[in-house]
Amino acid sequence: MMKITLKDLCKYFQQVKAVDNLNLRINAGEFVALLGPSGCGKTTTLLTIAGFYKPDRGEIYFDDRLVNDLPPRLRNIGMVFQSYALYPHMTVLQNIAFPLKIRKTPKDQWRRRAVEMAKLLGIADLLDRKPGQLSGGQQQRVALARSLIREPRLLLLDEPLSNLDAKLRLMMRAELKRLQKELDITTIFVTHDQVEAMTMADRIAVLKEGHLQQVGSPDELYDHPCNMFVASFIGTPPMNLLEAEIEASGGGFKVRTPNFSIVIPKSLASKIKHIPNSRKVVLGIRPEDIEVGQGELESTVYVVEPLGRDALITLDIAGVKLKALAPSHERYELNQKINFSFPVERTHLFAKDTGKSLYKEV
Amino acid sequence: MKRISKFLPYLALALIGAPFLTMYIGFFLRAFGEGSQLGVLPERLGASNFSFLWKPIVWGLGQTTVWRVLFNTMLFACISGVIVTVVCMLAGYAVSRVDFKGKNMFLALQLFLHAVPGQILLIAIFFLLYYTRLLHTIPGVALARASLEIPLGVWIAKGFFDAVPWDVERAAMIDGCTRLQVWYRIFLPLVKPGIAAVFIWGFLFAWHDFIYAYTLLPGTAKLMSTLIQSLLATEVIDYGYLAALSLVYMIPPLTLFILLQRVLLKVPLFGGKGL
Repeated sequence: MMKITLKDLCKYFQQVKAVDNLNLRINAGEFVALLGPSGCGKTTTLLTIAGFYKPDRGEIYFDDRLVNDLPPRLRNIGMVFQSYALYPHMTVLQNIAFPLKIRKTPKDQWRRRAVEMAKLLGIADLLDRKPGQLSGGQQQRVALARSLIREPRLLLLDEPLSNLDAKLRLMMRAELKRLQKELDITTIFVTHDQVEAMTMADRIAVLKEGHLQQVGSPDELYDHPCNMFVASFIGTPPMNLLEAEIEASGGGFKVRTPNFSIVIPKSLASKIKHIPNSRKVVLGIRPEDIEVGQGELESTVYVVEPLGRDALITLDIAGVKLKALAPSHERYELNQKINFSFPVERTHLFAKDTGKSLYKEV
Repeated sequence: MKRISKFLPYLALALIGAPFLTMYIGFFLRAFGEGSQLGVLPERLGASNFSFLWKPIVWGLGQTTVWRVLFNTMLFACISGVIVTVVCMLAGYAVSRVDFKGKNMFLALQLFLHAVPGQILLIAIFFLLYYTRLLHTIPGVALARASLEIPLGVWIAKGFFDAVPWDVERAAMIDGCTRLQVWYRIFLPLVKPGIAAVFIWGFLFAWHDFIYAYTLLPGTAKLMSTLIQSLLATEVIDYGYLAALSLVYMIPPLTLFILLQRVLLKVPLFGGKGL
């Protein structure tokens, strides 16, 4: 177990700032996800932590040791790649045992430990096969076994689930999470899939274009996104964002969209840190917070997409579309007039120009 | 009509192939024919042209045996092949995986070097070998010959190394390999077809080299190419004898090709699914 500290980390490729001034502390035993769209610098960050890229500026600490110049092989880390990167000319047993063999561990020892590791991951019956003869899910288990056999102090996972089919991905998600807690290894997990990040990680670091947007537990990111990017990236279906204007009104605020307005009471207003001079804001409402079929706000049903347990309903309010989740046992007709409401304390407010949340950080 | 159009491609191919085929048929007829000094068709078939296999070969005042010459040629080609393989496998990995200043320039220069005909270097190489006391030795001249094939050999090797995914190399480095261990334990087993290709490259060019052997080796150390040349330079030329000798000259590289063909065609599956 090891804690990781990234201090002002920068990695540039010619003109492109792949990672810019990244500060992040990862506690011992923690499961952290680096989340962002492709090209946001998350894999670059991972490869820099692994030691394949040298940071252009900034420092990486493993516990209190500066490791900027330590080659990957001396960092005592395990890594699973998106492509699994198994050695095609070796059997599964040789693949798993490779990190031990390269360290000249006696044969009886590496054999015993590799078999143990294979049993732990449920691939003990595949030991004599070559990687080319395995399915994607099996290959991934081999890659995982190989990365864990030397009991690394840090485990790096680069999109390990994205090459699996949907069903297997769901299964491995749970299994990986369980394994990480069982082995108690500090783990950094790179993904572009916010559901993966939300379900597995203790904390999520959201990146965009090389910049860290927000770090926090899944709940924190969901309940208090610090800007519009995080707000729209976290949560499915994504948050509704409506342009609006804000003005003071009797100790609280009034937020006016072209079609309706809401009042932010005093109790909530105290949490707002500042109002942009232009008074232009963006109102965020999560689809799951909208209650359809009651309240004073009026709309028509634009389209209904059943999702099984729920139905995703697109509401049309004089041309503005709003997505809402409603229980699917209700029947909705197209163009049916319908009322809706949402709790004001569940809404989010962002400055239109900077995209930053108006609320104070928690 | 349909029938004719079906045979048309074969006819075209036969016409294109005919000159080459005729030459090879003529070549074999010469080698195995007897009593056909001037005519095209031999009087009878036989192996008498292959008498050099058990008799010494004589030209002018010199003489040798075919076995000695074959041994010399094999030594020459093998030394060259091994040198080319070792250098190109190391250099190919470096230019494929390591970033250094002037790499693109270096690679472009390699191609340019290959465009330079080896003959214009003969005088310089003569002096180089002379001062390093390697002149008139088979290993020395093989070394010089190898240097001509290294530039393009590096490119061939680079192509094979480029095909190994970065992640496989990264995984090995995480697992505890140094760069040299990655090269030896991961890359070499994966680029076996490349090793075979580069070795054949170095071997073949040395096997059929003439000008370097002719200029830099003494008349007593004959290779097959220079032996055939000295037989051509005599006043009475026995074409049947020469054809038979040339046939023996062809066998080793053909055997090498057939032996290594299986390795050459065996391209491994990299990484994992979908790669």
